[in-house]
Amino acid sequence: MGCKREGASTVSLNHPLAANFQGSRRNMRKFQSVFMALAALCFAVPAFADGGSAPINLVPIGAGIGMAIAAGLCGLGQGRATASATEALARNPGARAGIQLLLVLGLAFIESLTLFTLVIIFAKVK
Amino acid sequence: MPESLAFTRLLNYLFGNAVASIMQMLGIHPANPAAPIDDKFALELIVVLGLIAFFILVRLTLSVEKPNPAQQIAEVIHEFTGSNADQIIGHGYERFQAFVTCIFLFVVINNLLGLIPGLHTPTGFPVVPLGIALLTFLYYNFHGLREQGVVGYMKHFAGPVWWIAPLLFPIEIISHCARVMSLTIRLYANMFASDLVTLVFFSLVPLAIPAVFLGLHFFVSLIQAYVFMLLAMIYLSQAVAHEH
Repeated sequence: MGCKREGASTVSLNHPLAANFQGSRRNMRKFQSVFMALAALCFAVPAFADGGSAPINLVPIGAGIGMAIAAGLCGLGQGRATASATEALARNPGARAGIQLLLVLGLAFIESLTLFTLVIIFAKVK
Repeated sequence: MPESLAFTRLLNYLFGNAVASIMQMLGIHPANPAAPIDDKFALELIVVLGLIAFFILVRLTLSVEKPNPAQQIAEVIHEFTGSNADQIIGHGYERFQAFVTCIFLFVVINNLLGLIPGLHTPTGFPVVPLGIALLTFLYYNFHGLREQGVVGYMKHFAGPVWWIAPLLFPIEIISHCARVMSLTIRLYANMFASDLVTLVFFSLVPLAIPAVFLGLHFFVSLIQAYVFMLLAMIYLSQAVAHEH
């Protein structure tokens, strides 16, 4: 795969945004530590609040996490599909009709997986 | 259902008792025996009557010299479904074009009805897509049986290699039955979700912003109707394909 797609790699190195990339990497470290501290706080808060006797309803949290995983992974899949479709279209504009057909079908299939999750959440969370 | 459309009330007034007694005879108990016909059924009936009226109008005013606007719209739809069917089913697609065109028009109009304020999207209830999906399932299996014969159609389930057939046959049967479920849930969930998004944003910002999501609903309606039609075509093409 690597040697066939040389065009893609040179484009990304010469991209104007690539110059900015080194600077942003240093900032990444700071962000990482801030986010880790926030995550620790998130876990710490329920531990302190556990003194009360009211049971916590975890259903909405579970539904939200499930939907987030489904939507995020579906977004990744749709992004990959669209990327390859646009690449194929740029290489061979003549094959537009077939590529469009397969793209729409594929996107609908990927999207329906997220919607299955939504339906399951609606069926279970009541 | 406490509130209903005037047309639903009219239908219930005219045919309510007859429908309720037929359902009792079949052993089905309607949720509301006083009014067994609900809004979604009334809307579907309106769509069906409208489509039939449109088809009759086009058929009666067909003209080569002076095509009227209705005929031109019908020609655009015919071109669209015909080119897609030609691409997917290939040779001999004309027999199935009427069915897939009806599916497409019915689904797209039912989806778009949700854009009219005060109306529910009929396809946003699971029973409506289920009916269309069951019809598609029966139709493609019927044509597969007619085209290949009972033995040939059963062979097409078993796959090309004879010793793996006992494994493949149940898998194929299950996957064919799952097609009904996936067609139903895809359409239902898309319509339901796009209605829900509008509703949620309306509860957040009750001014202007939710209108953006009506545009989203419009696009989703068109794409889901297109996908439904494409899948019906793909199932048909697999059912009637001859192995050489």
